[in-house]
Amino acid sequence: MTLDRRSFLQFAGAVPLWWGLRGGGALAPLGDDRTLLVLELAGGNDGLNTVIPVDDERYARLRPKLSVVRSGAHRLVDGTALHGALAKVHGLVTGGRATVLHGVGYPRPDRSHFRSRDIWHVADPAHVRVTAATTGWLGRAADTIARESAGVPAAAVGGLEVPLLLKSERTAVPSLRRVEDFQWLSATARGPVGSASPTRAVVAAGERAGGTGDDLRAFVAGTASRGVALADDLSAALARYRPKADYPGGQLGNDLRLAAQLVVSGFGTRLLHLSFGGFDTHARQLPTHAGLLAQLDAALAAFVADLDGHAAAERVVVLVHSEFGRRAAENASQGTDHGAAAPAFVLLGGARGGVLGPVPDLGTLDDGDPIATTDFRSVYRDLLTWLGIDAARVLGGEHVSAGLWGS
Amino acid sequence: MNDLLQPWEPSRGDRFDLAKAGHLLRRAGYGGSLSLRLDLVAAGVAAAVDRVAGPAPAAPLPPPERLQDVIAFGDIARVRAHRVWLALHGEPVLRTRMSHFWHGHFATSNQKLQDPRAMALQLATFDGAGLLRFDELLAAMCRDPALLRWLDNDGNKKGKPNENFARELFELFTLGRGHYSEADVREAARCFTGWHVRDGAFRFAANLHDDGEKELFGARGRFGGDDVIAAVVARRESAEFLADRWLRCFVHPEPERVEIDALAAVYERSQRSVYATLTTLLRSRLFFSPRARGAKVKSPADFVLGTVRALGAHAAPMELAAAMAALGEAWCEPPSVEGWHGERAWLSPASWLLRSNFVADLLAGRTGKLQPAPAALFARSKTPAEIANRAGVLLLDGALAKNDADHLAAVAAAHGADHAAAAVAVLHAAACLPDYQLA
Repeated sequence: MTLDRRSFLQFAGAVPLWWGLRGGGALAPLGDDRTLLVLELAGGNDGLNTVIPVDDERYARLRPKLSVVRSGAHRLVDGTALHGALAKVHGLVTGGRATVLHGVGYPRPDRSHFRSRDIWHVADPAHVRVTAATTGWLGRAADTIARESAGVPAAAVGGLEVPLLLKSERTAVPSLRRVEDFQWLSATARGPVGSASPTRAVVAAGERAGGTGDDLRAFVAGTASRGVALADDLSAALARYRPKADYPGGQLGNDLRLAAQLVVSGFGTRLLHLSFGGFDTHARQLPTHAGLLAQLDAALAAFVADLDGHAAAERVVVLVHSEFGRRAAENASQGTDHGAAAPAFVLLGGARGGVLGPVPDLGTLDDGDPIATTDFRSVYRDLLTWLGIDAARVLGGEHVSAGLWGS
Repeated sequence: MNDLLQPWEPSRGDRFDLAKAGHLLRRAGYGGSLSLRLDLVAAGVAAAVDRVAGPAPAAPLPPPERLQDVIAFGDIARVRAHRVWLALHGEPVLRTRMSHFWHGHFATSNQKLQDPRAMALQLATFDGAGLLRFDELLAAMCRDPALLRWLDNDGNKKGKPNENFARELFELFTLGRGHYSEADVREAARCFTGWHVRDGAFRFAANLHDDGEKELFGARGRFGGDDVIAAVVARRESAEFLADRWLRCFVHPEPERVEIDALAAVYERSQRSVYATLTTLLRSRLFFSPRARGAKVKSPADFVLGTVRALGAHAAPMELAAAMAALGEAWCEPPSVEGWHGERAWLSPASWLLRSNFVADLLAGRTGKLQPAPAALFARSKTPAEIANRAGVLLLDGALAKNDADHLAAVAAAHGADHAAAAVAVLHAAACLPDYQLA
């Protein structure tokens, strides 16, 4: 990709920092098109029925009904097995292209969906209250790589709300649903507002006036200007992409295809988030959970195949996580209640692959939940470092490596 | 009463004008046509608040018109369209506004329930009881089939409690985090064992109810669900929690401590009357203060329905409901038990584009025919400057900066003698002004 002088200086400035943090690892030199996709399983994915401790008899005792998922599960090397619906993900794990991290969480787990999600998004277990000034970890990362060139450094895919983890101080983060949404339509003619239309001057003047006004008006005016710029830039960039895999129907497949489109079209988007919901399985969870995992498996496999087809897979890494796992013991409704630590998945990006961390100890539960053995910020630290971003700055301090790219 | 909540009175330099009438209608309802705004100005602030709030309800109000027809269709898109129709045409406007406030508060989603009838009935319960005492509404909600199933209380039984309902009752409906313990959640879950649903109606299953002794907020007794409701609404934190939510909805997205305390006191003194609390707030100095005006980002409902109402138009409710959903506010399908996040989260560059495109499509007749046609509102506006000013009055209560008026006039001038096109283009451009995103 080409760099204008200003962004080259910013890019060059990041290099020594990055080498310092890397400690001279054996990776290829830093490229600034490395991309992270965070896929959030919203609602609290049942970790123990996703990466199942099949050889642990205590598991079956805790879950007399839900442990039927042991049959048909795909074995890993450490006495655990992936849920039967995750066949393709299992192939990626055993093929060294995906890593299962056991027991990811944080100390003193919170069992509220919102508070726990906010903790993951802000990357601070002590985080108390969201205000207009609260930023998310990917938003802060976006601030370190934002350039004044046309690209959008970070984007939320699939929704219209920008999630907390993408809230930043300085960087506009769009949310994207469909490529077709991104024309700025005229009210008096078919097609977009023309490049010479006086309506453009209304938006531009709004931004100039907003710059001296109060915070909220400036926010709205800036958002409007970026909306117009987004329409102009994005429709041109996205037109270049052709998918090289068959994505499954449904929202997740659509969202991942749009994510691939952003990656492949070279739009400069390096931080992506999308959410896949429905994991809050308090009752009769077996068919629901299996269905969700099957969708996840098919959509992730298509995403990997598409990136492979575009020779882009090694510059993309995917983190799959949930705000918490679920209680070790099943409830009386053939479901599970809000829990704590849970496995996370990291795909592609040349990460080590296989299984990482100790198998959850079902003999030592904390208030009914497995205890976290890897702090989620250690995972963030490795991902940010791989991206060439100053992890300590984004996370507000040093964290040990989770070992995703070796020790 | 704190000065903040004293009735606001007009003065020579600070009249109840078009901007204030528009503010009242945008917050208490979904905006209003120019003729309605002018009527309120003529009536004065006291009569205007009475008109948007309607008379004080003494008992649950009857269900809205056409409810049984909507239920008979059995289609969630019809339920949603019915709500849009009520928001456009229902009176008093505060009643429907509050129903949608409570919808975001109790945040039940048909995506899980797959039961349009239960959703329609829950919303009708808000229509009926949404302005009564909060404990009356809460008691109705704790027996609401949609909410009980949404939070899995159907599986909450003696010996095997399911905590979901009790936890959200405290965290999201009444107290907020930090004002109850995990033990309170567990004990409250026991109190609601057996509060189930059968054949689409509430049923107390005595044989599945745990009638043993519980300890709740430090008190001991053989408590049931109604004891939890009585205990929770009596807590000061509950008054503050609700006051905070109402201030966020009606006044400002970041309420201050003194405002919360003042409104919580009004609520407690009124025996927890939602109507009395909100009419005090809507009439208050705080409500008409510069701090409140233009301080909120329009929700998709505010934006979509407010545009149609500002133009005094009729449009197809189904289409409008679909447009709101595309903008992130699909009624009957809140994104989570937390409801919609609102404020700045509504607005991203992408959603700004979609909002602009909604207005363009609406004005161009691409979302169905708009009646009356927008150009008919400009019959007496001839020159580009007159067209620009008229659009400013219609959409922005006449509060148009000179600079913006000049730019809008340039938009009109670009259409030459094509008066209808000029009117449409100027309305679209006015809706692209920053102020039009603010409520």
